[in-house]
Amino acid sequence: MTRVSVGDASLTNILARQGADLRGQVQRASIEVTTGRQSDIAKALRGDVAPLLAVDASLTRLNAFKTTTADAAFQASVQQNALAGLSSLAGGITTILLTARDYPTVVQVNSVAADARARLESVIGLVNSQASGRAAFSGTATDTVPLGSADDLLTALEAAAAGSTTAGQVAAAVVNWFADPLGYGAFYQGGEPLSAAPVAPGEAADLSTTALDPAIRDTLAGFAMAALLDRGMLAGDSGERARLAQRAGQELLTTEDARIGLSARIGSVEAQIESARTRNAAEGTALGILRSDIGSVDPYEAATRLENARSQLEALYLVTARVSRLSLVDFLR
Amino acid sequence: MSITSALSSALTGLSATSRQAEILSSNVANATTPGYARREVGLRAAVLAGSGQGVAITGISRDVDRQLLGERRQAEAGEGDRSVRAAFLGRVEQALGTPDSAGSLAARVASLDQSLIEAAGRPESQARLATVANNIGSLINGLASATDDTQDARMNADRQIGDQIATLNGTLAQLEKLNDSLLSFTGAGRDVSALLDERQRLVDSISAILPIREVPGNNNQTALYTTGGVTLLDGKAAVFGFAPTRLITPEMTQTSGGLSGITINGRPYDTGGPNSLILGGTLSGHFAVRDDLAVSAQGKLDAVARDLVERFSAPGLDPTLVPGAPGLFTDDGAAFLPANESGLAGRLAMNANADPAQGGALFRLRDGLGAVTSGPPGNGTLLTALQSALTAANPLSSTAFIAGSRSFAALTHDLLSDTSTLRLSAQSEQSFAAGRLTALSDIEAQNGIDTDQEMQQLLVIEKNYSANAKVIQTVSNMIDTLLRLGA
Repeated sequence: MTRVSVGDASLTNILARQGADLRGQVQRASIEVTTGRQSDIAKALRGDVAPLLAVDASLTRLNAFKTTTADAAFQASVQQNALAGLSSLAGGITTILLTARDYPTVVQVNSVAADARARLESVIGLVNSQASGRAAFSGTATDTVPLGSADDLLTALEAAAAGSTTAGQVAAAVVNWFADPLGYGAFYQGGEPLSAAPVAPGEAADLSTTALDPAIRDTLAGFAMAALLDRGMLAGDSGERARLAQRAGQELLTTEDARIGLSARIGSVEAQIESARTRNAAEGTALGILRSDIGSVDPYEAATRLENARSQLEALYLVTARVSRLSLVDFLR
Repeated sequence: MSITSALSSALTGLSATSRQAEILSSNVANATTPGYARREVGLRAAVLAGSGQGVAITGISRDVDRQLLGERRQAEAGEGDRSVRAAFLGRVEQALGTPDSAGSLAARVASLDQSLIEAAGRPESQARLATVANNIGSLINGLASATDDTQDARMNADRQIGDQIATLNGTLAQLEKLNDSLLSFTGAGRDVSALLDERQRLVDSISAILPIREVPGNNNQTALYTTGGVTLLDGKAAVFGFAPTRLITPEMTQTSGGLSGITINGRPYDTGGPNSLILGGTLSGHFAVRDDLAVSAQGKLDAVARDLVERFSAPGLDPTLVPGAPGLFTDDGAAFLPANESGLAGRLAMNANADPAQGGALFRLRDGLGAVTSGPPGNGTLLTALQSALTAANPLSSTAFIAGSRSFAALTHDLLSDTSTLRLSAQSEQSFAAGRLTALSDIEAQNGIDTDQEMQQLLVIEKNYSANAKVIQTVSNMIDTLLRLGA
C-alpha cells in the first residue's frame, strides 16, 4: 500500500535544528551589537588576518613612541632650560667683568670675583640638572651628575695655574686645563654621549649633548677664571687681577655664540621630537580608523540582523507550539 | 460452502487484526527509538483446496530504505572526519589567539616590540628592563602553551583512536554473533525484526568511525566493508590492532617509529595518504590530526621559534657574547642547533644571564648577555639593536613557511593567518558535510514512525476486528438456529 507519511521525528528534527540555527544567529548578532566587534574576525577577513595584525602592531608601537617622545622631549627641555640659565648667568656678569680694568679698585674686583664664584656654583648646578632622575648632561652615565663641586674645580685650576704671575699665564693655564683630557676631561664624571632615542618608526632624536660640549666647557672656563680671583689668585697684584677679570669677561663674551648655537641645535631636536609626536598621534588616529574599518561591525547592520533573527525565532516558537498540538491522538475520543 | 469455514475465516481475520494491533502498538511505542524501523504485517488471502479460507499472515516486514541508510552512513563518516579536523584546527587557532584577543601570539610580539622601544628610550629604567624581560617570558609562554595544546591534541587523538579501535573490535564481534543468531532464527522462521533493528543500530554506531558499505546476503546475513575495500565482517569479524602512546613529544611520528599505526587481522594498513583503505571517518580524522595536521602546526610554531632564536643570536648583535654562545632566546638553556628544530617552540627559554627568575640580572639586557658588571646605565645601543633585530626583514631559514624575508611580527602574522585560513576552510568543508548528513537524516526521519498514520491504521484495525467479531456472532446465531431445529 502506498501511503504518504511523514515521520514524527522529521518535524521535531527540523524545528529543533532551525531553532538552534536561529538562536546561534541571535547570539552572534547580539555579541556584535553589544561589543561592536566581529564575532568571528577571521571569517570576516576570509582568513587573512595579517593586515589587521599589522595595524594592531603599529598601534602598539606608537604607544611605545608616545612614552619615548615624552621622555626625549623632557630631557631636551631640561637641557634647553639649563643652557638658557647659563646664558643669563653669563650675560649678567660679562659687562662688569669687561669693564673691570677701567675701575681697578681692589674692592670692585673682589666683589665681581665673589659674584663670579657664586655664579660658577649656579652654572655647575645647572649643568648637573636632572630630567626625572636622569642627569641631563652626563651622557650614558645617567646615574651620576657630570660635574663635581665648584670648590674642587677651582682647587684643580689653582694647581694647574700654580706659579703663574700674570693674568695671561693664568688664563692660558685655565684654557689648557679645560682642553686637557686629563684636566677637565677627567673632572667630567659622565659617560659617552647618549645614543639617539627612538621617537618615531625609523627615526631617532639626538640627545648626545654632554657637559663636554665646547659651549658648556668654555663657558665654565670663563666663569672659573673670574672665580679664581675670589680664591686669591694673583693676590696683591691688583692690575693683573683686573686684567684677568677682563680676560674672563672676554671669554664669556666669545662663548656666547657657541651657547646660542648649542641652544639652537637642541631646539631643533625639540622641534623634531614635537613633530614626531604630532605625526605619531595623527598616524595613531588614522590607524585607529582603519582598525575599526577592518575589525568592527556596522552597528546598524548588526542591529538589523539581530531584529530579523529575533522575529524569525519568535515565528518559529509560534509554529512549534501550533504544530506540536497537531496530533490525531488529541482528536480521537 | 459451510458455516464452519465461515467461522474459521472470521477467526483468521480476528487473529490477523490482533497481530496488526500488536505490531502497531510496537510501532507507536518505538516512535522515537533510534534505529527502529517501521514494521508492517504482510497479509494475503488464505487459500485452501482452491477456495478462500480467510486471511493468512505472510510475515512481518521491516520498512527500511537500504540505499538511503547506506548514504546516510557514508555522510556520517564524512561528517565525522571533517568535524574532527575542523575541531582540531579551531583549537590551534584558539591556542595562538585570535587577532582580537589580548593574549594572542601577535599581541605578545607587539608588546615585546613596544617594551624594547620604551627601554631603548630610557635604558637606565629598571622597570622598563623588567617589562622587556616579562614580555620575553610571555612570548616564550605563548609559544610553549601553543606547543602543549598541539601535543595535547595529538595525545587526545591517539587516545581517541585507541577507544575507537576498541569500539570497532567489540561491535564487530557482536555483529558476528548477531549474524549467527539471525541465521538460526531465520532458518526456524521466527520474527527477526528486533535482531535486525539491533544489527542496524550496531552498524550505525560504528558508521561514523569508518565509511561502511553493507552487503546483504542470504538468510538475513550481512557483510561489512569499508568503502576503501577492507573487509570488516564477512562471516568472521576483522580484528583491528593499535597500540596507544601515552606521552607524545613533537619529534615522535609514525614514520620515526614512535607512534603506532593500525593493523587489521595482523596486517599493517596505511592510516593516511592515497593508499589508505580506511579513509573517510573519524578514525582517519584522528590519524590525520595526530600524524599530519598537528605535525604541520607544530612545524610552523617551531619555524617561528627558530626565527626568534636566530634573530637574537646573530653574530655581532651582542658584542659581549662569544661566538656560538646562546643568545637572548635559548634552546632550553643551550645554543640552538639547526638539527634540533623539531619541538623548539616548546623548549624555548630566556637566557639565564638576563633572567632574574633564573638568577640572572636585568642589566645584561642593556649591557650585553656576557657583561660581567653593570655598564653605563644610559647606554641604549644594545636595546636599540635588539629592537631592530626583532623588526628587521630576515630571510627565513626554516621550510615550514613560504620562503622570503619578513620581520618577526610579519612571520607571526603569517602564522595566525595560515591557521585561520586552514580553520575556515576546514569549517566550510565540515558544514558542507554536515549539510549533507542533515538532509539525509531528515529524509530518514520522514520515513520513520508517523503516529497520525498509525492512529488511522488503528481505526481500521478496530473496525476490522469488530466486523470479524460480528461475523462470528452471526455465524454462532446461525448454528444456534440450526440446533434449535432439532429440539
